[in-house]
Amino acid sequence: MRQPRIIVVGGGLAGLMATIRVAEAGVPVDLFSIVPVKRSHSVCAQGGINAAKNQKGEGDTTWKHFDDTIYGGDFLANQSLVKRMCEAAPGIIDLLDRMGVMFNRTPEGLLDYRRFGGTLYHRTAFAGATTGQQLLYALDEQVRRHEAEDRVKKYEGQTFLSAVIDEGGVCRGICAMDLRSMEVKTYPADAVIFCTGGIGAIFGRSTNSVVCTGSAQSALFQQGVDYANGEFIQVHPTAIPGEDKLRLMSESARGEGGRVWVPKNPADTRAAQSIPDGERFYFLEEWYPKYGNLVPRDIATRAIHRIVYQEKLGIRGQAAVYLDVTHIPKETLDRKLEGILEIYEKFLGVDPRVEPMKVFPAMHYTMGGIWVNAEDQATNVSGIYAAGECEYQYHGANRLGANSLVSCIFGGGLAGPAAVKYARNLEKGAESTSASVYENERKRQEEKNQALILPDGTENPVAIWRELGEVMTEHVTVTRINKDLEAADVKIRELQERYGRINLSDRTKWSNQTLNFARELGNMLILARVITLGALQRDESRGAHYKPDFPERDDANWLKTTRAKWLNGEIHLSYEAVDISQIPLRARRYDAAK
Amino acid sequence: MAEAKQVIVRIKRQAGPKVAPYWEEFALPWRPAMNVIICLRDIAENPVTRDGKKTTPISYDSNCLEEVCGSCAMLINGRARMACSALVDKLEQPIRLEPFSKFPVVRDLAVDRQFMFESLKRVNGWIPIDGTYDLGEGPRMAPEIQEKAYPLSRCISCGSCLEVCPQVNDNNQFIGAAIVSQVRLFNMHPTGAMHAKERIQALMEPGGIQDCANAQNCVKACPKDIPLTESLAEMNRQAWKQALVGWLIG
Amino acid sequence: MSATATRPETDYLLRKLHSLTGIIPVGAFLVEHFWSNSYALVSQAQYDAKSQELQTIPFRIFVEWAFIFLPMLYHGGYGIYIWLRGKANVSAYPWVGNWLYTTQRYTGLIAFAYIGWHLYTERWLTHGRSTYADVENLLRNPYALAFMFVGVVASSFHLGVGIWNFLCKWGLAATVKAQRAAGALGAVVGFTFSLVGVLIVCSFWLNWHPFDFYVK
Ligand SMILES: Cc1cc2nc3c(=O)[nH]c(=O)nc-3n(C[C@H](O)[C@H](O)[C@H](O)COP(=O)(O)OP(=O)(O)OC[C@H]3O[C@@H](n4cnc5c(N)ncnc54)[C@H](O)[C@@H]3O)c2cc1C
Ligand code: HEM
Ligand code: SF4
Ligand code: FES
Repeated sequence: MRQPRIIVVGGGLAGLMATIRVAEAGVPVDLFSIVPVKRSHSVCAQGGINAAKNQKGEGDTTWKHFDDTIYGGDFLANQSLVKRMCEAAPGIIDLLDRMGVMFNRTPEGLLDYRRFGGTLYHRTAFAGATTGQQLLYALDEQVRRHEAEDRVKKYEGQTFLSAVIDEGGVCRGICAMDLRSMEVKTYPADAVIFCTGGIGAIFGRSTNSVVCTGSAQSALFQQGVDYANGEFIQVHPTAIPGEDKLRLMSESARGEGGRVWVPKNPADTRAAQSIPDGERFYFLEEWYPKYGNLVPRDIATRAIHRIVYQEKLGIRGQAAVYLDVTHIPKETLDRKLEGILEIYEKFLGVDPRVEPMKVFPAMHYTMGGIWVNAEDQATNVSGIYAAGECEYQYHGANRLGANSLVSCIFGGGLAGPAAVKYARNLEKGAESTSASVYENERKRQEEKNQALILPDGTENPVAIWRELGEVMTEHVTVTRINKDLEAADVKIRELQERYGRINLSDRTKWSNQTLNFARELGNMLILARVITLGALQRDESRGAHYKPDFPERDDANWLKTTRAKWLNGEIHLSYEAVDISQIPLRARRYDAAK
Repeated sequence: MAEAKQVIVRIKRQAGPKVAPYWEEFALPWRPAMNVIICLRDIAENPVTRDGKKTTPISYDSNCLEEVCGSCAMLINGRARMACSALVDKLEQPIRLEPFSKFPVVRDLAVDRQFMFESLKRVNGWIPIDGTYDLGEGPRMAPEIQEKAYPLSRCISCGSCLEVCPQVNDNNQFIGAAIVSQVRLFNMHPTGAMHAKERIQALMEPGGIQDCANAQNCVKACPKDIPLTESLAEMNRQAWKQALVGWLIG
Repeated sequence: MSATATRPETDYLLRKLHSLTGIIPVGAFLVEHFWSNSYALVSQAQYDAKSQELQTIPFRIFVEWAFIFLPMLYHGGYGIYIWLRGKANVSAYPWVGNWLYTTQRYTGLIAFAYIGWHLYTERWLTHGRSTYADVENLLRNPYALAFMFVGVVASSFHLGVGIWNFLCKWGLAATVKAQRAAGALGAVVGFTFSLVGVLIVCSFWLNWHPFDFYVK
């Protein structure tokens, strides 16, 4: 029998799980990643991973996990696959445990579980405050074992540029660039699994890591791989603004009595501590007297946005509000919040026990992503699979906390064997694809590089990126207004036009990070439009997508998946029905959540 | 307002692995809560040296920007540090940035730390499971063991402990504290313990644990506060016991 | 498990042997040597009696070579080899452990030179029959006297740090707390031996015998 070869692009949780499954099936894997896989963004996840193990005897079941996920996602997720994921989750935890993840334990030596948002059950397994890191390392170690035994070959420090697609529209491999030698090469494969993660960089700054640009997803989109539900973007209400990154500040700060406020006079230049109580605006307490600072995530997020963008009351005109814990006794803070307050201190050099923290909502997660089918993570292009945050299947209109890690591992675990099966059943594999197919793709990509490197343009890529981030964050995150979305689209097209006149400050041929960034930027601009147009079209409010002009969920018109297609160099939106075969629709009441 | 505050950054640059390094100095506008990564981004946006010469952006590695991925390690004012958590206001100026000296330079501040990942391979740095199919729950573990093991599992492979170790250099390929500590972690796990001997054996190869000379710099430099000296001591004990038994009865 | 799988490699064994020889027999010999020499603090006669006793043990040559000279040569020689393969960096990282690492190398070298000279003058030139008078004579030379002080202190320091190192590196002191205790022990040993060593040298130099009331 012909021995197929499979490529996995991306070595986060999803990519590593897919790699392990393929290697286990006895098929050699080439694993591509920009960063050494152990440094993938999945390390950032802190909270935990969900599985209904009912370890606390609360009567939790996988069905209830399924129901919470669908309800939390405002019924936009296709139900069958989500159900399978929730059923598989306890087994995934067992597997991770066997792999040596140092989950927290109960006195009996069993795994401990904590409670997370959007559920009544203790369903979240955790390893200290670094669950994502621990899970990623466990999978990384398994992959290293397969690597040592020659089943996996790693290509770290390589960026995916494009898929190699033959005349019949079948994927036959990829084209990638070595980020040191800048060499562009093609790599044949019978199937390719994409696990390229999030898209935070499109919003300039987010809670995501630097390489989460969505560039790979966008490149695929431009080669005919559909992109679904792009408009669903999760924003976390409290992150620590930083010029480089918005670092997550856990909800527990408010849970322990933290108060959110802004100075009544935004021009007030006094230090926060010395602004008297009467000159502070505790807007959450005032607007939502019943829940105060503990309103649900999305409401808090919207309120903060309203303060900054509509009321123009951000601290000294900046996009920030105070999260104040200085009134809480020091020993309480040290006992209950030490870990998270340390993060603030470490990165801002300011002691939040003395000085109120400055926080702002931050783009956190994309529910939307590469369109995949409801059985086995296959995209609409033969030979291309996707798993992890880069695809759209599991979270509907809003993701529950601690559900992403499980969806990454489940999706990766599904994609691996599916790709193997597909590759084994291929009549003709990559070896019989003509060399010109590869050579043409390589040339096309090489030419793109040349086009960026050569001309003496005037536009600075970093400036374009900054402006993209600003417009996306202001208009395409929390509160969406159609005329603003239209303006945003105009702005992005203007940026695209300026991108055509880009000027690279580095034209060298070795480890040129500027060139790579410019390539990513081009892709980000296109994906930004997919998101913006999707949001513009969807005249309703559902999950994370909120339009004040259409404040209700509109199942009659909008219970459907957005499916963006790239036709003749343009974005086309189409829609398809959502699978609601298991759980009937019901209203999602934010205010009843607490 | 008084004269705008500036941040002066001196960077040791190197266009590629085999060419000579040189220094460049930059003057950047100061802002609150700046860290070294922000300085490097400022330079990328406007790559002009302090004396007005146009240059190229600095190459460096970064990803998470919250000190958990291990990418951004470099020498900051001569010390091994993570750039993303190195706050400008807490650094003496001019801030000197250099690449790690114990790893091959790729370009500017970016170095190749593949040695560490290869070492992890050498010591069988994994829990050997039979397969990813459903085999039920993992072994039970006392919370006490978990509490000891968890801190070890937070190693981000940044390489700081190798950089500061006098025993790691061109003449001596000491595997480094991080890897020794990882072996301790794997050997603590009930399943991992079944294969402890092979890992310890690997630790006794040339460049292995015997090369540790107890300077104890590693534990001071580790950004994750991993108890590296305890790991070294513990593994040393496991190693000589195994060596003694192996030597006496083969 | 196959037999070869657990057999340690030469590099490992040599290194461990170096470490072990530092304590036994070299360290142990140093202790013994300081002890027998401290008889000088009692009286010239006591010292000579003690020396005589040591110089007339059975199998003397064999004992000297097997338990003193060879281990010392090995420890010293391999110590230099280890030194050459390290690269001190105290200027960049001026931390206590790192200082000790560096001084351990220099004091080892000083000890090596000193012991070599010491053997030459006291063992070789005297044909193994060194007496109080020989030492006293030698120390009339101010350079010899200075070298004696330096050598004694360097050796003591090296032993003190060595004990700490040894306890850490064999995992006998494995926790931070235990290592701190081991460090304290090393410090006490280093300091005590320096002091006793200096006193012994003073005894020869100044003809000073504070314990002579025992024999009066
Ligand atoms: C701060 C934070 C906290 C979070 N906490 C939680 C939590 O507690 N629980 C939870 O369930 N979820 C959490 N999430 C979400 C979760 O971490 C992510 O959704 C998940 O880790 C994504 O994993 P992934 O495998 O899809 O991608 P990633 O881990 O992002 O990996 C992507 C991989 O693709 C590679 N790659 C990308 N582009 C290319 C390219 N062009 N060429 C080659 N390789 C490429 C990268 O190098 C990387 O290896 C959190 C997210 C953030 C930001
Ligand atoms: C007075 C005689 C000496 C005594 C008592 C002695 C004792 C010791 C001891 C106990 C140790 C610690 C063992 C260990 O590191 O595990 C040690 C280490 C060391 N000794 Fe000596 N030593 C002596 C002479 C020398 C000489 C002559 C040299 C040669 C330069 C030397 C070089 C070293 C070095 C380099 C180490 C450190 C080894 C390491 O860090 O791994 N020593 N010594
Ligand atoms: S042990 Fe600490 S210093 Fe060494 S690589 Fe790991 S995190 Fe970095
Ligand atoms: S960028 Fe990840 S540790 Fe600094």
